[in-house]
Amino acid sequence: MRLIFLRGALLALVVAIWELIARPLDPVLYVAPSTLPQAALRLLNQPDIPPLLEHLGATVRAILAAYALAVTAGLALGFLMGFWRVVARAYEPILAALYAVPSVVWYPSMMLLFGLGTASKVAFGFLLGFFPIVLAVLAGIKQADPHLLTVATSMGASRWAIYWKVLIPGMAGTLAGGLRSGLALSVVGVLAGELLGSRAGIGYMINHVYNLLRTPEYVALAVLMATLVLAVDSAAGRLEARVKRWTG
Amino acid sequence: MTAEHIVVRDVRKTYQTATGPVSAVEGVSLTVHAQEFLTILGPSGCGKSTVLAMIGGLVPPDGGTIVVNGTAARRPDPKSVAMVFQDPGLFPWRTALHNVWFGPELQGTARSAREEAARRLLESVGLKGFESKYPRELSGGMRQRVAIARALALGSPILLMDEPFGALDEQTRILMGEWLGGIRLQARKTILFVTHSIQEAIALSDRIVVMTARPGRVKDVVSVSLPYPRDLNTPDAVALRARLWSQIREESLRAMAQEQA
Repeated sequence: MRLIFLRGALLALVVAIWELIARPLDPVLYVAPSTLPQAALRLLNQPDIPPLLEHLGATVRAILAAYALAVTAGLALGFLMGFWRVVARAYEPILAALYAVPSVVWYPSMMLLFGLGTASKVAFGFLLGFFPIVLAVLAGIKQADPHLLTVATSMGASRWAIYWKVLIPGMAGTLAGGLRSGLALSVVGVLAGELLGSRAGIGYMINHVYNLLRTPEYVALAVLMATLVLAVDSAAGRLEARVKRWTG
Repeated sequence: MTAEHIVVRDVRKTYQTATGPVSAVEGVSLTVHAQEFLTILGPSGCGKSTVLAMIGGLVPPDGGTIVVNGTAARRPDPKSVAMVFQDPGLFPWRTALHNVWFGPELQGTARSAREEAARRLLESVGLKGFESKYPRELSGGMRQRVAIARALALGSPILLMDEPFGALDEQTRILMGEWLGGIRLQARKTILFVTHSIQEAIALSDRIVVMTARPGRVKDVVSVSLPYPRDLNTPDAVALRARLWSQIREESLRAMAQEQA
């Protein structure tokens, strides 16, 4: 409770200082917080600006698609590599190296391959979300407590049972962490994809109003996006903490 | 049923290490009779845990034969053998109750049956009321009792125990030993117990097999005919302790010399 109060106080302070600084200055360059509600209303129904909800829907759909792909491919590849140790030893360093490359460099090739439509931003969101998930699976398998495996083996557990009843519950915390990072990065990927080149979505809208120098609308969109991302990530964080408590 | 539950003949094991092969066990033979409590006593690193792991089918021997409950031990056979280790190895994401029924769950026992059995076992190890506690909420002694209940849940006639109380403090260790003595009579198990504690060996065993320093061989086999509950301060117990100590001292000195070499 005290934490929430302290955070709220900081937020209020930042907004107040922002307002004080921005008020006397050029409203196009320095958007005052008090102008944001009106800007947000203008985003909802103005003929010259794309309707907000439609684009929000497009962005959320793209994020869900990208994340679903990242989870499926990340888990599948991670467990395949876990089953075949040789494959893991051969390819894991490559995966880790690719993960270290700033992912924006792949974006132009995504556009070349998939065009300016939904596919390229989904592909980019997938690409970003995929790595932390597959690497979390590999880390989880590697960190498995060998003693628990011995105990399960001594009780006659098959390889399959060891996977389902020992390895996977044992790595649930690590896996949840990877899935959370993957979600955050999928969101970043989709938004970045929309900003860099697309014809729909919140990122596209940000680009649009920014190019028209409608800075209050731009800032309102940015704040909206930040709020959304924070909400999603804190929900994911709470889930992760629960899983971690469970697995001890 | 044969009177010999475990027959180990001339078993050898060599481990490959970075500095070359190390002979851990060299020609160990021993027999454990049905419902006997036999303790393997030896200095640290004498290969006594390796002997136990080979009997449990976790580690293949390089030579010799091991017959457990009438069949050759090649892989873990939970129908014959249950194992308890120094580290209880409870699954941290499972409650005490769910840990105990892990074995029956693997065997496909119906939930109601395994729950009833697990509750009964937890009660028999003095943990009634702790069914829904997670391992991190239990003390070291309680955790080891859950691990023993989990091993008993397999229903196997043989229990292999590898320094099960080695990580506990002195008082808990003594109490757990007394408790195990009671459990053993109740459950009619054959127990093969590994320890480096002379006190523990005297307090619990029908027979004690003394092992040499690495490579492990059998140095001596001692029958303990003291009455239960055992008083370790009677002249007989003190004499036995002195005899075992002189043997273990010799081997421990050799083991220390090996480590320095």
